[in-house]
Order: sequence, then C-alpha cells, then structure tokens
Amino acid sequence: MAKGSINRIDELLASVTTDLMSDGQAAFQDNSIRVERLLLEMVRPDPVQPRRVLPESIHLRFHNNHVTPTQALRELVQIVQITARQRGRPFNSVLELLPNGDEEREEESAVVLSPEEQLLHDLVNLAVTIRDDGQVNPLTVVDISQGVTHLFRIETGERRYWATWLLRDFIPNYAGDGTIPCIIIPEKRSSVFRQAKENTARSGLTAIALARQAALLMLTVHGYEIPAYAVGNDFYRQALNLDLKSKREYTDAVLSAMGGVGRMQFSRCKALLKLSDEALELADRHQIEEYRLRPVLSVAPEYHAEIVRQIIDFNLTAKQIKELCEGDGLDTDTTDPLEKLPPAAIKMARAVHASSSASPQDIARALMQQEGDAAIARARLQALRKLLNEAERYLTTD
Amino acid sequence: MTRVFVFTNHKGGVGKSTSATNVALGITQVLKRANASNCRVLLIDTDSQGHASLVTTGRKDYGADDSLYTVLMADRQNAPQMLMNCIVPSQWDEDLHVLPASPMLEGAERELMGVAGAPYRLADPLGKIAGQYAAIVIDTRPSFSLMTEMGLLAATDAIVPVEPRYLETVGLTSVIQKINDIRDGWRHPNLRVSGLLITKMDTRVRGHNHLLAEIKSHPLLGKLVLGVIPVNEAVSYAHHNHQSLFTYDPRSSASKAYIQIVGSLVRYMTKVGA
Repeated sequence: MAKGSINRIDELLASVTTDLMSDGQAAFQDNSIRVERLLLEMVRPDPVQPRRVLPESIHLRFHNNHVTPTQALRELVQIVQITARQRGRPFNSVLELLPNGDEEREEESAVVLSPEEQLLHDLVNLAVTIRDDGQVNPLTVVDISQGVTHLFRIETGERRYWATWLLRDFIPNYAGDGTIPCIIIPEKRSSVFRQAKENTARSGLTAIALARQAALLMLTVHGYEIPAYAVGNDFYRQALNLDLKSKREYTDAVLSAMGGVGRMQFSRCKALLKLSDEALELADRHQIEEYRLRPVLSVAPEYHAEIVRQIIDFNLTAKQIKELCEGDGLDTDTTDPLEKLPPAAIKMARAVHASSSASPQDIARALMQQEGDAAIARARLQALRKLLNEAERYLTTD
Repeated sequence: MTRVFVFTNHKGGVGKSTSATNVALGITQVLKRANASNCRVLLIDTDSQGHASLVTTGRKDYGADDSLYTVLMADRQNAPQMLMNCIVPSQWDEDLHVLPASPMLEGAERELMGVAGAPYRLADPLGKIAGQYAAIVIDTRPSFSLMTEMGLLAATDAIVPVEPRYLETVGLTSVIQKINDIRDGWRHPNLRVSGLLITKMDTRVRGHNHLLAEIKSHPLLGKLVLGVIPVNEAVSYAHHNHQSLFTYDPRSSASKAYIQIVGSLVRYMTKVGA
C-alpha cells in the first residue's frame, strides 16, 4: 500500500480514536487475568510441563498431533484394560473402576495397582466428582492464540483437563457444554517460575518431574528458548552442563521455585537426568524417590533400566540399592581390578595393608567390645587365621 | 460480554454487506489504534450469495466442509470445533476473521426445517468462542428466513441499514417489530435494536432529504438513527477491487461516515463492557 494511502487511513482513524483514547484508555488495555469458560478443544496441555499425566509414549504422540485427546485417552484405557485383564480384574467400562461398595472395599484395598491403573482410577474418580459437583477449581491457562487459531496452554490443571475429556467421551450422562472454566493469563505474564512454584507447592511431584523442573528453570535462566512442542529427555539434559554459579542473581528465585530446597538437593535432583530414557520413565511412573535413584547414577547407563526395574519389583531400600550398585559387578570402570571384587574382600585386603597401624592389645580390646565375649572373640580370630592361611595358599599357587 | 452486531433488513440492496464488512474492519482498526489488548473481530456471512466472504477473503468457492454450512450441519457436540476450523483470515486485516458463507446455505434452510433447535445452530457454538473476539459482526440475507433468525438469535445488537426511499421506509417499523418478536418469542432478552443506518443518502435528491427528516422526527425511529452514509461511487469500486472502503478511498465521504459509526459502536462496546 502506498505511503500516502497509509497516512490517509491514519488520518481517518485518528478522527475517531483521539476522542476514544482520551475517554477510556484503560478500557482497551486490559491485560488483567480473567476467568472464562473455554471450549475444551481450545485448551492444550503444556508439552514441556515437568509433571507428566499420561505415559511417555502417549504424551509424545499426543503432543506431536498424532492422536486427538479422545484417542490418547482411548490408548490409555486400552493399556489399563490389558494390564487389568492380566491381573485378573477385567473391565469394560471405565466406571467399573470406581469402588463398588462396602463389601468389596476391604478386598480392593489389598490390590496393588499398576501406575497406569492408578492413573485411570484417579482420572475416573476426578471425572465423576466433576460430573456430580461441577468443576469448582478453574484451570490456569496462558493465551497463546495466533491468527485464526485460538489456543490456550495449560499452566496448572492438566489432570482436570484429562478428567473432563474422560467425562465427555467415556462416561455416560455427560451434561456439560464442552467447556471448562479457566483463569486466563496473558502470554506476557506467564512464567516458568510460577508454574514451578505451583507444582512444588502440591504433593505428588515425582523426583523425575522435579529433575525436569530443575532443568527447565536452569535452561530458562540461561536464556534457552523453551519450545512449544513435545521434547525428549535430551532437551532437559542440556541443563546438566549448566550451573547456578554463573547466574547468581537467579539462585534464590530458582531454589525458591523448587520448593525452597538447598543447592545440594537441587544438584542431586538435576543429576537424575543422567539416567537412561527407559529408567527415567520407569522411575517417573513408579514415583521412585531421589535418594533411591542416586546410587543408580554410579553405574553405566545401559544398566540403569534394569536396576530401576529391580527397585520396583523388589521394593529395594536405599541401602540395598547402594550395595547392588557398588557390588554387582555392573560397574564399567575397569581401571582398578580391585573394584570388581566383592566389597568385603576389598575391606579385608585394606585391613591387611593397615595391620602395622594397630597394636595387638588394641585389636583384642576392640574385638571384645564388638563381640562381648572372649570365647566368641577367640573363635573369630581362629576363623580369621584359617582364612588368612587359605588366602596365603592361593597366593603361592597363583 | 462480546457484542454481536447483526446487520439485517428484509429488503435487498440496502448496503447490509457493505456496512457489515466495513464496520467489522473499522472496529478492528480502531481497537488496534487504541492499543486494545484484543482487537480481533469475527465477520459471519449468513447470506448464501457470499458477497461479504468474497470481498473480504477474495474467494467464493466455500463448500460443504469449510463454511457456515459445515457448522450448521455438524452435530451439537462437534459444532464449536467445526466453527473454529471453518474460520479463515481475511485479506483486509490479520485480526479480521471470517466465517464464510456458501451457496449450499440455500439448501441448509430446507435441510434444517423441522429439526429441533435449528434456530440455535449458530448461536450455541458461537457462544462458546465469542469470548475470543472483541466484537462479532453478522451479515444476513435479504429476507426473514431461518438463516436470518439464526443470526438474530446469535446477536446482541441489531442494526438496520435502510435507504431513504419511500418503499424501503414503509416496512421499517415492521422490521423492528420482527426483531422485537424474535427477542420476545425466542426468549432472547439480550437482543436489542441498536440503530438505523441510513445508507446511500443523496442530499441532492429532495425525496431523500424529506424522508430523512421524517425518520428523524419520528418518536421511535428518530432516536435510533445511528448515522447517515452518503451515496458514494467509491463503494462500488472498493467492492470491485476486493478492498475495504477505508483502504480504497479513505477520504471518501462514505469512509468518513462509516468511521464515525465505528467510533460510536466502539464507544458503546467499552461502555457496556466489551
């Protein structure tokens, strides 16, 4: 369009806007937070939200637009149906997952559900609550509409979003109008820090979600662009090379957003991203705590998933996991051959090496203190002598 | 609450489409110039001739799956999603969006006749996305058909364009009465007649001046006159070039008259809380 023509349009518009702007400028510039009922189709979960609701594979397929929300839920229901059938409790309608009454309650409480079963149970419960009592608590969404596409990204409330879809498409007698109440935040006012605070303020955030959260905060303060599409774990792993030392001005804000954790705990959380993809997903779905996952990082990545699976199957304690990781020969560090030996043997060898540093009298006193009986102490020493003799025999033959 | 302006009159050629398209664009541009947080305006073309769609989007080949027809034929649950899918950007301004008409709308009326809730097939889905727009403008066909009823039931404000000619003004009170009937009969209390738009006014013609004076002196109609658009050749040329009047000839008398009307409507929107 010619410059002169643009000027003429400006003049034309100015003839009415000058009055308008002097009258009510505030009425136009409404950047405030507002509450509206939005069409479910206009709302989308945040693809990089650290707290995952759906299993990873469905999460990625949904955010890559390979499946619709209804199809994503159908996939979840099918996964749960297979698991439930294998465990001898098949169901046809999701409503059958709800508790049936007092007579079965005792039996049901003893059943251990898989994470997917638990998720669907929770979503169905939430959906039925919304159906019966209405959606009391609105979602928090960010207006990211562009052109003719109206879109709102969920900041908090993804479970309520999925429960509403479940209610609409999988549960009979849905009487809603396909909308969901939302608190709408202008895009300029959206913040990774607020989302993090909302997440950490509530219980149930897994160690892996916290790790992703820590990574998102680190990437944000280091100026990385947070994508609007689904990302793999490698995106979060970029944060492993970043630290807070170079961004001291953000340290307090980051730690506060993480729920007021210390620097050490923050680093430990972030370090969990070193786990292999499969281990990350397993740990996330089974909500394994950080202190139980920490020892797993000391072994080679190809063993992570197997160890995490053992943690889940045998419900191992932190001490057991530590022993498993230190002594199961999975360590790939081959520089020190002693590391491949059982930890007890290595301890004994070190004791032999330090034999001149303690007097016999002190050893006898320590033995008495440990065993509490001279006869038992004597028996221990004889066993040790026999063991040392045997060991010596191996030395000569080798 | 988003105001939904419907331009309606059962008489053809009075400037409904010209007024609807230019007012829709004017609202967008005035809001943009006022730095409003939401400047988006949706223009809905319910006239099967599709003139408003043609001049604003440059196309008239909308069909069964990308027009208002698609929305009206969709099942109740999918209609809002269909509505969102069918909205297209206009060529006039990135914030002016269009729900285009299709020649198939002629058949839609017949197909929907007797279907329960048919008159609400536009109002229901529109109500769910209306909040995304600062204003919505509906262009209707020149008759009080089911399609026009749908437009009125979706609207909050009816604007009646009328030419200052004897036969056109004779039926004016009946048009207003019809709008009032729809408001009362269909229990749609939010609908009000917001104004009369006197179009194609030629001050050189004595009859025009006489009728305008008569309308202005009428106890009911006089209060409703929203503005007077002078007859202007620029309107035809703008249509021919698929341009808005403001772009084609911003200095024309019609442009100046329309922008004053847009100013009044935007002021009204801010007053009632758009």
